[in-house]
Amino acid sequence: MDPLIQAQGLTLRYGRKTALDDLAFTLAKGRVVGLLGHNGAGKTSLMKALVGQADVTGQLTVLGLKPRQDRVKLLDSVAYIPDVAILPRWAKVGQLITLMSGLHPRFSADRARALLRRTSVALSDSVKTLSKGMVVQVHLALVAAIDARLMILDEPTLGLDVLSRKAFYEMLIDEWCDGERSVLISTHQVEEIETLLSDVLMLNEGKLVLAIPLDDIDRRFVALGHDAAAAAAVAAAHPLLRYRVQGGSAALFDGSPPADVLALGQRLRPSLVDLFMALTRQPEINRSA
Amino acid sequence: MTQFKMLLRREWMQHRTGWLILLAAPTLLLLLLSGLDGGLQINIDGNDVQLRPLRQAPSLVQTALLCAVVSVVTLGLALLTVGLQLPGLARRDRQDRSVEFWCSLPVGHAKAVSATLVAHLLLLPWAAMVAGALGGLLVAMVTVLAGHGLAAWLQLPWGLLLLAGAALLARLSLGLLLAVAWLSPLLLLTMAASAWLKRWGLPVLVAATLAGTLLLDKRLAQPVVQPALDLLTSEALQAMLRLQSLGAVRLGDGAGLQAFLQALPRALLHETATTLGHAATPAFVLALATAALGFWLLVLRRQRGA
Repeated sequence: MDPLIQAQGLTLRYGRKTALDDLAFTLAKGRVVGLLGHNGAGKTSLMKALVGQADVTGQLTVLGLKPRQDRVKLLDSVAYIPDVAILPRWAKVGQLITLMSGLHPRFSADRARALLRRTSVALSDSVKTLSKGMVVQVHLALVAAIDARLMILDEPTLGLDVLSRKAFYEMLIDEWCDGERSVLISTHQVEEIETLLSDVLMLNEGKLVLAIPLDDIDRRFVALGHDAAAAAAVAAAHPLLRYRVQGGSAALFDGSPPADVLALGQRLRPSLVDLFMALTRQPEINRSA
Repeated sequence: MTQFKMLLRREWMQHRTGWLILLAAPTLLLLLLSGLDGGLQINIDGNDVQLRPLRQAPSLVQTALLCAVVSVVTLGLALLTVGLQLPGLARRDRQDRSVEFWCSLPVGHAKAVSATLVAHLLLLPWAAMVAGALGGLLVAMVTVLAGHGLAAWLQLPWGLLLLAGAALLARLSLGLLLAVAWLSPLLLLTMAASAWLKRWGLPVLVAATLAGTLLLDKRLAQPVVQPALDLLTSEALQAMLRLQSLGAVRLGDGAGLQAFLQALPRALLHETATTLGHAATPAFVLALATAALGFWLLVLRRQRGA
């Protein structure tokens, strides 16, 4: 089966700065993929490239189309939220539904209205009178009413309070993810979306440092809890990251550490946050940890 | 086409309050003035025109003049507003960041830019013409009823008035299209400068124009910039309506005006042929080509800025 997204040697430069550096990955249908990375890691650049808004070199196909050349055709089947609170402030919610009906061939006004009934937003509300959280919910209701195969969300909950974030993710999972459609979502709030994800892509300074199904993380990475007496021996085994856990220290290894090191502590479940820290921290910070 | 219509509708949704005020204000203002003094006094300079208060003029003259005044003021106000808004229009969606929302929809950049241009440069002024004509009829009705009574209003040669009015409206609509086409290099390059250089766009454009007229033209054997600007503006004005081609009109009595209105549709036909002839020139093609460059710059800005 053809993947929804296929990237090979994907590179994007802004002048002398390399935003995306030779990325290669695929995304299959029915997956919920987290795109993780620090500020400036290249997440937004990658998302813009995927929807044809950035000029990249290398090979990139999304739903079998070349995003830059086939942008309009591609956006027929891709729902995209590029940022928080970018809906036109002059519009009323009902007007946005009218506009979307005429501008997007796969948009269902009835479905948008049904989704909005789940929120506290009325069709007569003007966008400028809504809170940031409400605007994001309206935006999600609008794009979730598109019969798309892929949804791309760029930091959709940035700056929202925890209730708004929770409401957003609930609507996303309940109303859009059906096992066939895929979602690519970038965020800083790694711990909040970990339970939603099936796969993770991690970017660090434009490079793809990890592309893995979440189920494989436990198999590939080993976290080892240990006491202070074993710290030197554990450090000598070159873990990816050493960090504090309740009641002691822990170390994260890519692959299983030597058996004698493994015997010095107890195996823990590596969290996505720890993995994120290990793979995206600057080397000098990592060394001093 | 559905998408384009919806993009035009978006312009209406976003600007309708301002547009409605703009279209109705001249009519309302003149209605108020006519109610205050019982009639307007319009002095027209010219050898063939007698000067006297409008309320003493025959009802046909009152009707024709008020329709003309309201139409001209409404159209003028609309054009002035468009002119002032134009630089900001190029950056409108970027300023409220909604450009990211619009660009996330399956709509071509060229189509989106075109819809904005069509709505503001053509549809609004066209609407102003129609609103002005209708508003003029309303003001004239109130004035004639107040000054001459219902019988005089009913006895107006309505067939003649409406035919001449419709012919003039059709000619002005075509004229607006041609005038916008003649001015399109200036309009679109102004927008493009604003889109690319933000608030520096207009000052840079003015500085470049001044440099062209004051410095460059003086160094060239054959001046280019000032004559080009003169040509564009004069052709645009002429494209709207070549008044001198319509002949003189005696407004002093109704008979002179009636004769003028009877001859107007035919005169407009001849005048239209002359105007279209001026459009079939290399200068017009060059103007359109320059405008196409401005349009491409606007589309490119939207494409890159999304």
